[in-house]
Amino acid sequence: MTDKPGPSQVLLIDDDRELGVMLTDYLAAEAITVTVQHNGEQGLASFDQGNFDLIILDVMMPGIGGLEVLQKIRLTSSIPVIMLTARGDDVDRIIGLEVGADDYLPKPFNPRELLARIKAILRRARPSAGEVRVLELGDIRLDTRTHRANVHDTELKLTGTEFEILKCLLETPGQVVNKERLSERALGRRLLPYDRSIDTHISNLRGKLEHAGDRNTTIQNQRGVGYLLIPGH
Amino acid sequence: MRSLFLRFFIAFWLLIGLIIGGAAVSGFLYAERLQVTIEDFEVGNSMAEASAVLASGGRDALAGWVRHLPRDDGVIVYIVDAEGRDIVDRDLPFAMQRYIQRHRGHAPDRPANDDAAPRERRRHRVLPQLAAPDGEILTMLVAPVRLPGSFWARSDERLMLLTFALVISGVLSYALAAAFARPVSKLRAATVALAEGNLDIRVADSLGKRRDELGMLGRDFDAMAEKLQRAAEKQTELSRNISHELRSPLARIRVAIELARRKAGELPEFQRLETDTERLDSLIGQLLSYARLDDDNQANATTINMHDLVSEVAENVNFEYGGKDRVVIDWQVGEQVSINGRRGAILSAVENVVRNAVKHSPDDHDVIVRAKLRNDKLSIDVEDQGPGVPVEDLARIFEPFYRTRTSAELDGNGGTGLGLAIAKRAVEWHGGQVEAAEAAAGGLRVRIDLPLVS
Repeated sequence: MTDKPGPSQVLLIDDDRELGVMLTDYLAAEAITVTVQHNGEQGLASFDQGNFDLIILDVMMPGIGGLEVLQKIRLTSSIPVIMLTARGDDVDRIIGLEVGADDYLPKPFNPRELLARIKAILRRARPSAGEVRVLELGDIRLDTRTHRANVHDTELKLTGTEFEILKCLLETPGQVVNKERLSERALGRRLLPYDRSIDTHISNLRGKLEHAGDRNTTIQNQRGVGYLLIPGH
Repeated sequence: MRSLFLRFFIAFWLLIGLIIGGAAVSGFLYAERLQVTIEDFEVGNSMAEASAVLASGGRDALAGWVRHLPRDDGVIVYIVDAEGRDIVDRDLPFAMQRYIQRHRGHAPDRPANDDAAPRERRRHRVLPQLAAPDGEILTMLVAPVRLPGSFWARSDERLMLLTFALVISGVLSYALAAAFARPVSKLRAATVALAEGNLDIRVADSLGKRRDELGMLGRDFDAMAEKLQRAAEKQTELSRNISHELRSPLARIRVAIELARRKAGELPEFQRLETDTERLDSLIGQLLSYARLDDDNQANATTINMHDLVSEVAENVNFEYGGKDRVVIDWQVGEQVSINGRRGAILSAVENVVRNAVKHSPDDHDVIVRAKLRNDKLSIDVEDQGPGVPVEDLARIFEPFYRTRTSAELDGNGGTGLGLAIAKRAVEWHGGQVEAAEAAAGGLRVRIDLPLVS
């Protein structure tokens, strides 16, 4: 886990105080330092001041809910966010991803699963030095070192997950990348039954590309298989 | 006006009163006018003239005289013989024929009684009679000229009058009918919308500030809708709170188990604890989705491609069973077959039925999902090759928490006892049916019938 000196900094925003204490305890053993805030306002204040690698955000909180907190965070930052949702509540889950969460975990979750997702996202956020590369296709330009993506001169504001998906598709333009691979690369986990997260991230990515003025390249869906990037003419 | 009752009562009262009164007054005026015409006519002069003509020229001369009488007096003079026929063969007015009939019975020898009622007196009135030289008795009768045009003016004026009457009564009736029908149809539309789950609907504003019974009905409707909406919101809120409050301790237990594991090392009891927290969690989820099926409204309804949905379920169940093809689809309808409804609910219905079938089938036996069209409905059969269900229990397997002996033995598999109940509810919510029967191969066959999108 410790690719970088010092523990990773995680901000947990959840109104369940006892859970916060236990998670802090649990994750401390994995060299992850958790800062706990119990409501949305304090969470946002903490986020503005601190320097975090990742945020874990509960959807259901009194006061400002998790979705609103996420929206506010996304105005300024593309920090990885894992949402904690109620199990079976598709609406929360999908809206969470649409608003820009990187991943979600239904509550009650297995803490080992949470740990695995945190690790996957943190690992992805810190590419090793050997990987430095610039990928280009049509108007799209992606720099894996600076973690920046552009369409012409317009910078794409992508979340970590969206960046990884785009990178994955750019590596093999015109070839189908299946959803399992996308999930493993971008989310660091296996695709789950009824898992629509990749589809939602792709749809967000399409929206951002189009908004940035990209008209040529299209992300095409190969039903039941995966996605491919088709270069323009 | 404050009350609908009063409005209707007064409007009808006025209208009917006006019609009866108007008809009576105009009838009276007409009769009076005729009366005056007759009274103005100098019967005496004519009698004298007729007598003279009769005496000098006989019956033929009298006929000639009658024919040439001027008509501008507003009366017609008839001379009637003993048989009651006009001497110039004109048709007598009906009333006059009756008059003559009556008078033939009463001989003029019975003098009028001054004390008798006017009607009586008129009946016994002595008719002006002439005696011809040959002894024939002729009676002179006078009738007003019944030229319809003379009273009702010209026909175009009559048309105008009729149109005017129709327009006035039409406007009045329209206003009355509209006053009643418009708010009723608004209320009806609102009721339909409410029944479809649009609990936001209110009518008081669109009914205006009516103070009558319909206005009150509208406000009562709003109060009812408000209560329903609040109840539904409470229900949703309660569901969310139950979910949150029950799951928070579960979440803590799971973290606690992990922490304990670290301190004590792996113990078999931890696995047990974990399994049971997972089961509790899925039970909470199923209970909530069972409860939620009722209060959800039609707002989220979409067109669902059933081939895609069933394939998705099969894929996911196969995925969970280690990628083995446990579920085999036999799709005998087009791939474009669709139904209308809530995808999540239908998905969980199909999934619960398929999962149940897989759970009760031996490992090396397939579960077959067969789709056909039956009576214009999409019919999906899910057949397993398990031990089946005793016939007397077939109907009961859809009851919540109902367990057959085999499913009790399979308890370790983590069934919640709600899967088929959820499926039944979801399918019935979409206007379909679920039934269980014995499969050809001896297992259980569950049939889901769903109405197709029209």
